[in-house]
Amino acid sequence: MSLLTTNRLTKRFGGLVAVNDVNLQIEENETLGIIGPNGSGKTTLFNLLTGFFSPTAGRVILQGKDVTRLSPEERVGMGMVRTFQLVSVFGSLRVWENLVPCVTWRNNEYRSLWKFMTSLVGDTWADSFEALRLVGLENYADAVTANLSYGDKRLLEIALALSLKPKLLLLDEPFSGLSDVEIAKVLSLLQSIKGKVTIGIIEHKISTIVDFVDRLCVMNEGRIICEGKPHEVLKDSLVNECYWGKQETVSGFPV
Amino acid sequence: MGNTFTKQGVAFETFASIGKGLVRTTGRQRVVELFVLGGVFLLLVPFLGTHRVTDFAIFCIFALSFDLLYGYMGRLSFGHLLYVGVGAYATALSLQYLTSNPLLAIGLGIVAACLAGMLAGSAAVRATGACFALINLAFNRVGWFLVMSPLKDITGGENGLSVRNLRFSYFDFQNPTFRFGFVLASLLVAFLLLRVLTSSPYGILLRSIKEDERRVRFLGYNTYFYKWLTFVIAASVAGFAGALTALNYAYVNPNTLDVHANGGVIFACLIGGAGRLYGAVLGGIIYMVITNLLPVYFQRWELLLGISLLLIVFRFRGGIWGNLETLYRRLAVHENTDRSLEGGRPR
Repeated sequence: MSLLTTNRLTKRFGGLVAVNDVNLQIEENETLGIIGPNGSGKTTLFNLLTGFFSPTAGRVILQGKDVTRLSPEERVGMGMVRTFQLVSVFGSLRVWENLVPCVTWRNNEYRSLWKFMTSLVGDTWADSFEALRLVGLENYADAVTANLSYGDKRLLEIALALSLKPKLLLLDEPFSGLSDVEIAKVLSLLQSIKGKVTIGIIEHKISTIVDFVDRLCVMNEGRIICEGKPHEVLKDSLVNECYWGKQETVSGFPV
Repeated sequence: MGNTFTKQGVAFETFASIGKGLVRTTGRQRVVELFVLGGVFLLLVPFLGTHRVTDFAIFCIFALSFDLLYGYMGRLSFGHLLYVGVGAYATALSLQYLTSNPLLAIGLGIVAACLAGMLAGSAAVRATGACFALINLAFNRVGWFLVMSPLKDITGGENGLSVRNLRFSYFDFQNPTFRFGFVLASLLVAFLLLRVLTSSPYGILLRSIKEDERRVRFLGYNTYFYKWLTFVIAASVAGFAGALTALNYAYVNPNTLDVHANGGVIFACLIGGAGRLYGAVLGGIIYMVITNLLPVYFQRWELLLGISLLLIVFRFRGGIWGNLETLYRRLAVHENTDRSLEGGRPR
């Protein structure tokens, strides 16, 4: 059984069909890449999966349970965690404090309201620090988050997601806005968790993730136009057409 | 950023030192805090007189409750005085009809404000920004209207309501010195309560909600519940301040929940520094000093209030306490140049 299945998922914004009749499957512990040109509906698809939007039609099924009407936080409770295209961490907090809600959530410490509201933040320090060490930010644990570089904020956001111990990790363009060095850093981090967690990753530059993912889906104009092994997908004529444009070879007329 | 991946040794040194710093921020420090706070108010007494300082302390409790809502959770309300009014009227009415024990009456006042907060909060916290502020303003208006007209027979309408039964065994609210002591102790209790709440993971959650509520939902928290809970706590503490107001003046009138007076507490929080408990207390004292003493010397004292508000908004967003903190941190960073980024010890 797949970890996540969508059944004819559709989202309309007025006349625009952002996601059109998408049937997607993500198997347990696989790494799935979703690529497509800008505006092809990748992020909207993620928003539908994670409950940020509710779909116009269709269903989202996580581990055999229909989660289409569940709120984002309930889906997080079922192990579906995401990051955002524009990195979103809490700038005014210290770096380690960002992880406090995640750590208390994972350890279920938030369930006892009394303990959640009266225990000291410092008690979660060890766990938060451990989560930071996983992404190599331990030296900045005490810094104000807003002062981090964009790449380090991205690492922090992934640390937030990972510290929730997700079953399914959905990364929305984790490489956008990063330098080559930072991309390598994030990629090696993802490499280290690959196979242990199911990962769905959106990217619009194919070259970055083609060697990383197990399977690749290509979206265009709200539909999945092709899916399969990464290198096979790249040979597909439809994919080349939507990425590079149609080769004009009409005979008799100059091109 | 090349040194992100460092040797474990350095990392653990940082770990150990910061860990120690965190453990220190517990019991003993809180006791010292309370002594300092109490001491400040005692020091004010010779200059301003017990009656004024009692007033100041009550206003500070109110400012603290507002700071939880506005400073920590980032929700600006234009109607927080409603809960002061509910607390005050509930205390006065229960002393008239239900009990002769002022302590029980205070408790009932807090419960009433808490219930009002639960009701109004469940509608208000769904909104954000200006909408949240105005919904609260509307609720405050409704409360004012209820007191003024439909419930006129029991609340006394515009004439207000005198509070009876101020005396119960050792608790004599007719005695100004006792009142001062009681109110000061109440302030310390309220401060301690909010200090515990804000230095818990819940406090961090509130600050996270202030910054990006959507993100917090995607960390698995039902933010609606936590916003509601915070609203109810803030309302209850405000109700406590209201109950004390009623006992302090032995009189309640609709001015306690006057919609137009809401600006004062916002101003106090901004002056002191929103999002910091010390800031709220400091702001409360300064606001009360300005509004109580300045009119004696200046006829157009509101002008100064306006100018200082402009200064804060344009130049010193962190308020007095916030800017002191920044200054201190900058000095600390100067001393510790090996720290790569701004940031002193965790509080």
